[in-house]
Amino acid sequence: MSDIALSIPQSRVAQPRSATRVLRAIQVTCIFIIALVIVSPLLLLVVASLKDDRFQILADMGSFRAFWVSNPTLSNYAEVGHLSGELAFGRYLINSLIILITTVCSGLIVNSMAGFVLAWGSLKGRAVILAIVIALYVIPQESIIMPLVIMVSRAGMSDTFAVQIVPWVASPLYIFLFYQFFSQLPKELLEAAEIDGASFFRAYRSIFLPLSLPALATVSILMGIETWNQYLWPILVTQTDYARPIAVAIATFFGQDSIYWDRAMAASVLMMIPILGLYLAFQRWFVSSFIGSAVKG
Amino acid sequence: MGKRLLWSLILSSALTATWADAAEKTAVQVMHQGDPGFVAAYGKVAERFEAANPDVDIQFIYAPHDAYNEKFSAAVMAKQLPDVMELDAPFLANYVWSGYLQPLKPLVDKDLLDDMTESNIAQGTYPIDKDLYAIGLTDSSVVLYGNKKYLEAIGARIPKSVDDAWTREEFEGYLEKLSKLDGVKWPIDTFRGYGIKTEWITYAYGPILQSAGCDLIDRKAWKSEGTLDSDACADALAMMQKWVKNGWVVPQSAGTNQFFAEGNPAALALGGHWVYAEAAATMKDNIVVLPLPKFGTKGASPNGTWIWAITKTSKHPDIAAKFISFMLKDKEYRAYVASQSGYPGLKSFAAESPLYAAGGPMAIAFEQASKTAIARPPHPAYPTITSAFMQAVDEAFNGGDPKEALTSAARKIDQDIEDNDGYPPFGDEQ
Repeated sequence: MSDIALSIPQSRVAQPRSATRVLRAIQVTCIFIIALVIVSPLLLLVVASLKDDRFQILADMGSFRAFWVSNPTLSNYAEVGHLSGELAFGRYLINSLIILITTVCSGLIVNSMAGFVLAWGSLKGRAVILAIVIALYVIPQESIIMPLVIMVSRAGMSDTFAVQIVPWVASPLYIFLFYQFFSQLPKELLEAAEIDGASFFRAYRSIFLPLSLPALATVSILMGIETWNQYLWPILVTQTDYARPIAVAIATFFGQDSIYWDRAMAASVLMMIPILGLYLAFQRWFVSSFIGSAVKG
Repeated sequence: MGKRLLWSLILSSALTATWADAAEKTAVQVMHQGDPGFVAAYGKVAERFEAANPDVDIQFIYAPHDAYNEKFSAAVMAKQLPDVMELDAPFLANYVWSGYLQPLKPLVDKDLLDDMTESNIAQGTYPIDKDLYAIGLTDSSVVLYGNKKYLEAIGARIPKSVDDAWTREEFEGYLEKLSKLDGVKWPIDTFRGYGIKTEWITYAYGPILQSAGCDLIDRKAWKSEGTLDSDACADALAMMQKWVKNGWVVPQSAGTNQFFAEGNPAALALGGHWVYAEAAATMKDNIVVLPLPKFGTKGASPNGTWIWAITKTSKHPDIAAKFISFMLKDKEYRAYVASQSGYPGLKSFAAESPLYAAGGPMAIAFEQASKTAIARPPHPAYPTITSAFMQAVDEAFNGGDPKEALTSAARKIDQDIEDNDGYPPFGDEQ
């Protein structure tokens, strides 16, 4: 066998190797181009935030100059940082973080519990409830937003942190995600826990929840992004800077007559950092969750 | 122990005093929009007002410009209307008809009322009861800005007054000449970059239709079919569509500053008065301000801006009016508005402004207010009128048939009026 292999002329071995190299080079180039396309809006945002002339930002749009800054400056960040009173971005950033952390933490508990009960609970009509949960997911937020405004104002929740957290903690999508994840785990786990005398809640808390890290990571990221980018809801239910998030504050830069692109870009970069951190923290499980779903699919 | 008790007593007395002080203050809520400069300016006015009136606490409710109407609707539904609200003048009729505002004349300082320009009075007046419901320091207009260097290169005539404005033939002839001139990428910037989410299309392009001999709605019968879809309107919209098709107009994607951007790629600009400050800072003496062209037998220009009103639900209308009066007279606030080339809505403010006074670089803009300004339809159906018209213009600019687009818009407007039984008593009294 080895003799036959050795008898193959060297040139014939080299040919496939060089073809592989070319193929690999094409692959790498393609990946690089795709990555560039995906990253370019982000790059444009960061570069624009370092320019000191808002008109220059607009003038540069549509050309490669949009991705280049000859005299980078942090003045836009300084201006955003120095704004005070109604425009105090530090305050809005902290508000956003409080809303994000509380919503995601409560959301993980509530949605995972609901998903677990739907997957393994003994309540009657589980299938009907699950169907309702899925049906609720297709109702657009816009169609219920005004009745919801009336509800929360009658409940005296206007202009609070709670009004931006409570209505969004339970979500049909995340309940369904958890339901799907839990229902794929073997039933023997629950049976074994029951034999050992563990209650239903104990089985959820000590066995199923620790096994659902990918689902927790996925929901954290999706819920985090959704919460962080909330715009219309906070405008409708809050009045002052007491509990308003940063997305509302950035809108100040989009005036009736002028758009302050320089400061809007700097504020957007600042707004992006926490959510990027959240993604980086959970991305390992997030990716594995997607891979897992694809394999099991 | 005794010391601890003493400190507790002092602390609790201080807290009680602070609480009592806060409780004694009368809170007045002010809802507004605006860019960072104006938001800061309002904040400083409030500080000065509170210093002069220590028993009042001014609480601002900021709503972003693009979500202002949604915020207003939410406030109405939640029964949380503020005491003072900023509103866009053409929406005033709808708000008064809906019962949200109260007349201002008995409340604000009389000298301010006497100081208002005719156009300012018009923008704040509800046509049914002829009462004044809103007041502002400013008004607005649109002019034609020109790049002097380019206009001289094509030998264009420079009008000296509103009466002397370019005719349609002159204007289109200049556009064609400019399109062939070196250095000119687009002959005109009509600020399409503002998009269709603002009032810009109705505000700035509506007068082109009015100048061409038609209108968005018949202002006596309050019916749009037969007016907005008339041949004169269709012809005017087809004219604008031609400018776009010929590549003469700065596209929406190019943003909103091509007239004064580096290299001056646009030769003319159909822009609001607010453009002047930024354009003049960049272009220096190369900017020339012209009246809007006559597209038919008469000239037409827009007016109206964001003005201040007091809601009917306000528990302290007297204090709310006191704040509005204070703001409109506040020297530092007026200086800030003037620095933003604010268009005068008060005679005293006009007299203070070297920009708009006779001989000033924007004098033609101010001249338009008395000679050619036509308010947007002061009708409760205005939200539908503007939305339908903006969609029609957008459709035509994207290649749709102008006549069909306007016919569809006219139908939508009349349908809305019919659905609301003519918005009585509007149908009866006008």
